[in-house]
Amino acid sequence: MLSKRRNLVPYLFLLIPVIVYLIWIIGPMMYTFYLSLTDWNGLVTPSFIGLENFERLFRDKVFVLSLINNLKWLLAFTTIPVVLGLGLAMVLNQAIPGEKIFKMSFYMPMVLATVVSGLIWGWLYHPRGGLINFILETTHIVEKGPGWLSDRDIVLWSIIIVAIWRQVGYVMVLYLAGLKSINPQLIEAAHIDGASYWRTFWSVILPLLAPVTTIVMVISVIDSLRAFDLVSIMTRGGPANASSVLANFMYIESFNNYKMGYGAAIAVVMFFLSLAFILVYLWRVMQDEMEY
Amino acid sequence: MNRKGFWVLISLAMILVIIMSACQPQTEFVTTEVKVTEIVEKISEVEVPVDKRVLIYNSYMSDPDPRVADADAVQIFQEDHPDYEIVHSTVAHEDFKQAIRAYLTASTPPDVMTWFAGNRARFFIDNDLIMDISDVWESEGWNESYPKGFRALSTVDGNQYFLPTSWYWWAVYYRPSIFAELNLEPPETWEEFLEVNETLKENGITPLAIGTKYRWTAAAWFDYLNMRINGPQFHIDLMLCKESYDDARVAKVFEYWGDLLENGYFLEDAAAYSWSEALEPFIAGDAAMYLMGDFIRDSLPDEIEADLDFFRFPIIDPSVPVGEDAPTDGFFIAANSQHPEAAKAFLAYLGGVDYQTLFAEDLGRLPTNSGVDRTMFTAQQQKGMELIDGADFVAQFYDRDTTPELADEGMNAFMAFWDDPDSIADLLADLEAARQEICTIE
Repeated sequence: MLSKRRNLVPYLFLLIPVIVYLIWIIGPMMYTFYLSLTDWNGLVTPSFIGLENFERLFRDKVFVLSLINNLKWLLAFTTIPVVLGLGLAMVLNQAIPGEKIFKMSFYMPMVLATVVSGLIWGWLYHPRGGLINFILETTHIVEKGPGWLSDRDIVLWSIIIVAIWRQVGYVMVLYLAGLKSINPQLIEAAHIDGASYWRTFWSVILPLLAPVTTIVMVISVIDSLRAFDLVSIMTRGGPANASSVLANFMYIESFNNYKMGYGAAIAVVMFFLSLAFILVYLWRVMQDEMEY
Repeated sequence: MNRKGFWVLISLAMILVIIMSACQPQTEFVTTEVKVTEIVEKISEVEVPVDKRVLIYNSYMSDPDPRVADADAVQIFQEDHPDYEIVHSTVAHEDFKQAIRAYLTASTPPDVMTWFAGNRARFFIDNDLIMDISDVWESEGWNESYPKGFRALSTVDGNQYFLPTSWYWWAVYYRPSIFAELNLEPPETWEEFLEVNETLKENGITPLAIGTKYRWTAAAWFDYLNMRINGPQFHIDLMLCKESYDDARVAKVFEYWGDLLENGYFLEDAAAYSWSEALEPFIAGDAAMYLMGDFIRDSLPDEIEADLDFFRFPIIDPSVPVGEDAPTDGFFIAANSQHPEAAKAFLAYLGGVDYQTLFAEDLGRLPTNSGVDRTMFTAQQQKGMELIDGADFVAQFYDRDTTPELADEGMNAFMAFWDDPDSIADLLADLEAARQEICTIE
């Protein structure tokens, strides 16, 4: 009797979040799926057009460009901040003087609203009066600093740098938490067995951090696929779509050009893309974990 | 096994939540910029005594000067009509353009809104989102007191839906002090214009200021070059989908444009600036000319305004009729307005002589109502009116004359061309493909 009731209680507690989740997340998601099959300008009733939006999408140069930009972003995002964040965590996990201040300052960018970061970096990148070009020009490293946000070849990377700058501190904090949970006896044992610092890192610490790495990778993949705010604030995808990413493309098509159905189709593609990446990654991680 | 299951669950839950938030076009995004610049601002109290008649007014006049004039206008109306209470919101210009569909389709839309005359208003009229205000036109006598052109601009199938209240001209603005220093005269022909550019460049001054972050500044160059080379009729037919972008005449526009780019006459890194950010070199005297609408004045310091003049965009082919861009702004009432009576009273005020005089005095906008006393106009306003009076054809503006979708594609092509002028053939082919797709849908 008692055990039965105990089994029921968790579900009662779950009920409210599940209902909220269904209404606010699953419902709109299903509606987005439906919209992706329609032609809708936001004013009249959506008219069903089957898969036409998707056919058009794959012929659209801007879509392909945005997709490639997202992949570049993904590549940079799953490597640079992860390595830097892990490195910082390893360094700052030791009792060095002022470590708290370092930790805080590395985490600081994450505390700023993305929009604010975008605006500040926009000023730093300003071609005429920006700090970066000012330094480059006064130290005569270059004659004339590049147009960080106006040159089609570098604009995307200029934005990715800002995103990485934000992300490093976040990854660092996650790894720091992970490092704290490692049993120090394991590391001591490795030292006693005569393992070098690198050896200990590769063979003991890193494998023990695997669950954190999983989370970090999942976050990085998702963050890079949904990248939007920095792009929207700094360039709006310009010049000539050079810094467009899928989320920005979706936003422009839906809310600037009023092609809601087309925008929804982009959202659906983004959904499956994220899902595919994550499933592949989780599947691999699960296989690895079985070995332990 | 349990541990594995736990991580999978946690991860999946996170994925779902985060992906969902990415897939939903959140309204939050729409207002991002609004929040940053603190542009939404309630000017009057929202709590309203029951006996007052409420009226919701949303305005895009977010530049500093128009914003003040707009607030003044609302205040004057309230003083004259103490029984009405206007709930007034000012939204950043670019955000307003994106939010307007949400406003219009809401069950309780703002009653009165600012908007652009022409194709952009026509689209909403065709979708039954704008209220027929023929009765206001009739009762206020506007059918007589407004020039025929403005009446036609507001009329669909014999009924009036729009109230045009002010218009402004486009021209090449320049700094007379720089011109005087280098012994330059305002150019009238294309050859003279190129010479002026060359002289300025030789003297280390950027000839043409421009900021293309929001792209429409480049569209002005297309408008003018196309009208000067191919004539306004071809231009407007192109805007209305009747001509194609792979026409040799369009390619010719980009040859002229390409010359300017190739010679480095435009401000460097233009894409990094908004139009007002590009004013900085113009104010500092590092750049001499700026193709812009008369609202350029709103954002200039007074001492620069004293050293500012404009000339007609140079004539390229004297045999071609002269077309000018002179966009008209105004107001309309949402079709679903919950307070139509109050909205019409407010509109009657906006279309009247008092309001238009205020706007002409404060901002130098040109009024649409012929009743406004024209003797008070400044020399610059007189000159602007002469400029437009002397034109054979008056267009609104690229992104007002053509459909929003095609305008977007077009302006992207202009930006790509700006960066890589050699790619123009491909760009125009793509643009033509887009035109065919977009124009058949409409």
